[in-house]
Amino acid sequence: MWLRRVAAAFPIAFLACAGQSASAAGAIDPVGTWSCVVWGHPEFGDERVLFNFAPGGVARLAHIEAEAIPAWSGLTPWVKEDREMRFSDPRTGRQFTADLRRDNLGGSWRTLTATGGWWCSQSDIEAIPETSEARAAALPPILPLVTATPRYPIQAIRQAKQGRVVTCFLVNSAGLIVEPEIIELSDEIFREPILVALNRSRYEPRESDTLRPSCRSYTFSLDRLAQSEIEIE
Amino acid sequence: MVRIAICGVASCLMLGPAVAQRQAIPEITQEQPDSRTVLGVGNEYLAAGAEALRIKEYDEGIRLTKIGLERPTSPRDRAAALSNLCAAHAAKNQPDLAIDYCNQSIEINDSNWHAFSNRAYAYYLKRMFDQADADLDVALSLNPNARQMPQIRGMMNERRLRGRVTVEEHQ
Repeated sequence: MWLRRVAAAFPIAFLACAGQSASAAGAIDPVGTWSCVVWGHPEFGDERVLFNFAPGGVARLAHIEAEAIPAWSGLTPWVKEDREMRFSDPRTGRQFTADLRRDNLGGSWRTLTATGGWWCSQSDIEAIPETSEARAAALPPILPLVTATPRYPIQAIRQAKQGRVVTCFLVNSAGLIVEPEIIELSDEIFREPILVALNRSRYEPRESDTLRPSCRSYTFSLDRLAQSEIEIE
Repeated sequence: MVRIAICGVASCLMLGPAVAQRQAIPEITQEQPDSRTVLGVGNEYLAAGAEALRIKEYDEGIRLTKIGLERPTSPRDRAAALSNLCAAHAAKNQPDLAIDYCNQSIEINDSNWHAFSNRAYAYYLKRMFDQADADLDVALSLNPNARQMPQIRGMMNERRLRGRVTVEEHQ
């Protein structure tokens, strides 16, 4: 029932999240250059990178902000099995996988000790600028203007449910969130407030008309109030 | 809104014993699958009191039940009636009186989940959540399927838990 209400209120968000239906018939072709955000364990931090996948299986990575020379570094060849894509970064040990049935290229990565995710939008950058300043200028970060906080569902409080949600999406030049997808959802009860919050969130508008990828993690946790705090309430 | 919820639970709490009293015809005492108790020898005042409580006529229900308790009655019926009084006073937002009646009920019959559930609700009214939790655990062990206990625990959680959402931006 609530799903229908959400669908009516936010048709774009709902369609994108409702089950990867748009590309379910086919599969994303990963060949090309992709502007991506790689996120995960805090020790790694978030990274903005370019991935380049050639038709023959060659895969390359370029850091946007690092002063790595040469700009592109090699990855293991990418392979596609059924509708899953796999490759790895020998420098960090990250093994990347992507479900190509999604609307966007992205998925998860793991090492022996950590896990995370990655999310991309198609990029028109082919030649990586030589200097770090030029690289940063080529793909400037998208700046949050309004970050709406989801409400904690009262039913979740009543049932003492805590959880975590990860959502990835694209940001258009107007700063609006488009094509959000729920990557991780610990409980269905948290889906609606996340979609509402995303719909209310904004980024600073940009001149470039390219879509930019971004992800957000939401942690829903419960604090037990002290007896004195309960009395006050 | 909260008031409605509280009354809703309170009336649910009484439903078991109330229905039991109305059915006080059969001669053989037996446990029903839904944990309602079919009582033995009838006591019109207890039955009428339970019915009054069922329709939320709390003062009348209390009056009739107290008259019924002055008459000879089985320990089991006495315990159920005391549990009803407990629920009635809890519904009237008189948790101290309610707890006293529940204590008396449990002293006579410590296997009646209604009494523990009613006392849990009374403790909830007094914000004595630890005691309420303990009673809910006992009530659940006696009747794992009763829907009142999750309701009361949910109401307590609403009071004692504060939700916090942390947002982390990745880009």
